[in-house]
Amino acid sequence: MNIETTRSEICRILRERQLSSGGWSALTLSSQTALEPTVYAMVALGPGHKNEYQRALRCLLRCQNRNGSWPSFIGDDAEGAWTTALVLIALADHPGEVRSRRQGFRWLLQAAGKESSWFWRWKFRTTDRHVRFDSRKFGWPWQPDTNSWVVPTAFAILALHHLPRSWALEHSEIRCQRGIEMLLDRVCPGGGWNAGNSVVYGRALAPHPDDTAVALLALKNRADESAVRRSLAWLEDYTSTISSPWSLAWSALALAAHSRCVGRLLSALAEHVRPIDIEDNATLGVLALALDFERSLPLLITS
Amino acid sequence: MGITRRELLIGSAAVAAGISVSAPFFRPRYRIDRRPRRSRVAILRLEDYSRPMDELLLRGLRLFPIKVQGKAVLLKPNLVDYIPGNAINTHQRLVVAAAEAFRRLGARKVLVGEGAGHQRDTRLVLFESSYERELALASLPFVDLNRDELLRRPLAASYTDLDYLWLPRTLLESDFIVSLPKVKAHHWSGVTLSMKNMFGIVPGQKYGWPKNILHWKGIHRSVLDICATVSIHFVIADGVMAMEGDGPLNGSPRPLRTLVLADDPVAADATCARLMGFDPDRIPHIHEASRFLGNSSPALIDQAGEVLCRPDVPFQVVPEFEHIRAR
Repeated sequence: MNIETTRSEICRILRERQLSSGGWSALTLSSQTALEPTVYAMVALGPGHKNEYQRALRCLLRCQNRNGSWPSFIGDDAEGAWTTALVLIALADHPGEVRSRRQGFRWLLQAAGKESSWFWRWKFRTTDRHVRFDSRKFGWPWQPDTNSWVVPTAFAILALHHLPRSWALEHSEIRCQRGIEMLLDRVCPGGGWNAGNSVVYGRALAPHPDDTAVALLALKNRADESAVRRSLAWLEDYTSTISSPWSLAWSALALAAHSRCVGRLLSALAEHVRPIDIEDNATLGVLALALDFERSLPLLITS
Repeated sequence: MGITRRELLIGSAAVAAGISVSAPFFRPRYRIDRRPRRSRVAILRLEDYSRPMDELLLRGLRLFPIKVQGKAVLLKPNLVDYIPGNAINTHQRLVVAAAEAFRRLGARKVLVGEGAGHQRDTRLVLFESSYERELALASLPFVDLNRDELLRRPLAASYTDLDYLWLPRTLLESDFIVSLPKVKAHHWSGVTLSMKNMFGIVPGQKYGWPKNILHWKGIHRSVLDICATVSIHFVIADGVMAMEGDGPLNGSPRPLRTLVLADDPVAADATCARLMGFDPDRIPHIHEASRFLGNSSPALIDQAGEVLCRPDVPFQVVPEFEHIRAR
């Protein structure tokens, strides 16, 4: 199949798999609406699929927590999760949803890795030093009361790029800056990122392609940083050795964002992947985003 | 980077206060007593993974009075990440052999489930570690526990203050859960064996990659709460090529040439610890689990198969865990 046929096929499958809630489950064996696949599927389908898109939008607006955050799945605890940043990215095309977005951004700006508090910063600088990182540079956790990690930090930075300047929410620029510093601090010695521990007990840990790609999307405007250049080189090299659709799709988005040619990568993906065999709806959504990167990248990253 | 005098003073005071509050580190906090009167462990010799293991495993399983006829069996290997040359994951051929053995013993359904702790791309780990190919050849379905449907379950112990966890439906609906750990030293918990292996049932989509909340709540405490809540019915520990030193990822391969089978996870972990040259009573979660989840004392374990021999040289560990080595 060519790129366009594959993308159409993915969109058809996504439309079929949409749940009555308007969202998507993480896996086909489940009927529980999960927010990550819902965001990817909604953005991938786009407003062109009006009915499905509107139902997904209503689903997202309906499941916002009282504190302004979003859960990771419908039925989840109401304290808030990393998916809040993803939903804010999906809502960037809906400037009319002012109340929801403002509450979401407020929650996002008060959420921070636990090492942002002076006590834990002190602990990581003195007694708990087996993981090499600078605790002054913090970002966002997967869930409250835990450390900052690469992927939720990168998504939060991408979301904050969509924060209207006129809203003048406190600390937005400094949080973004800290998050970027944190990503640069956590880069693996040879380039690339993993979950967020680059060196443990003096040993370098290996990067992961998907984590690297998401970090590179968030660092789109930092292309001159040596860490970014090293990571792009690592990712370009690594993608030639793997066949996993999830990692390849994220890699294609990141490489395209940094103006690398991804034509061959996408053609290979379109040729080898069998969308119907993919049971993970988040993977299907990201694949569709990658295959249509010229439309989807401006939605994900804005300067 | 320097530390200010103020930070040092306040921090020291806070640490002292914290220590005084948590001084009795493990007060009993369980509401169940699942210890069998006696436990059974079998130590099987396997030189390497190229040797036939189907018959060996089936013979080993028949040493136990386990009943899996008509049951849905979930095999939970330790599948963390892939680094060429590192003995990180439970060997894929052992998982397939275990599935075949349970099928032959009459299991209605055998599934493999795991929620990798570091890697979001489950398919990439499956592919790179050769699981994908081996599972496909054996027609063995795999469930990504990081992304399965979640149900809220109250914890059956309170070593952490979590009260409940969201756990995968596939796991909760299984009749018979088999933990297949890789025998490894671990830089945060001393060892990772059948009980620590259960961190992999905690879903990433809710708790993240890694499942950092379990570290914040205390690894040993979290292991106890999870294993009190979800019963491990059987253990097949992969110690054929184990790992010492800076596990779970960057340690060195250490051949033990051993499989450990057990009907009690505490007995399994205590036995593995002894095979590694450790004193299980110095490993907090094994010691505490022996008060309510199983037996760690050799006097309460019926030993089959090979003789349990402590190694001449204990497994290497990071300096913080030197004290767990048996003297």
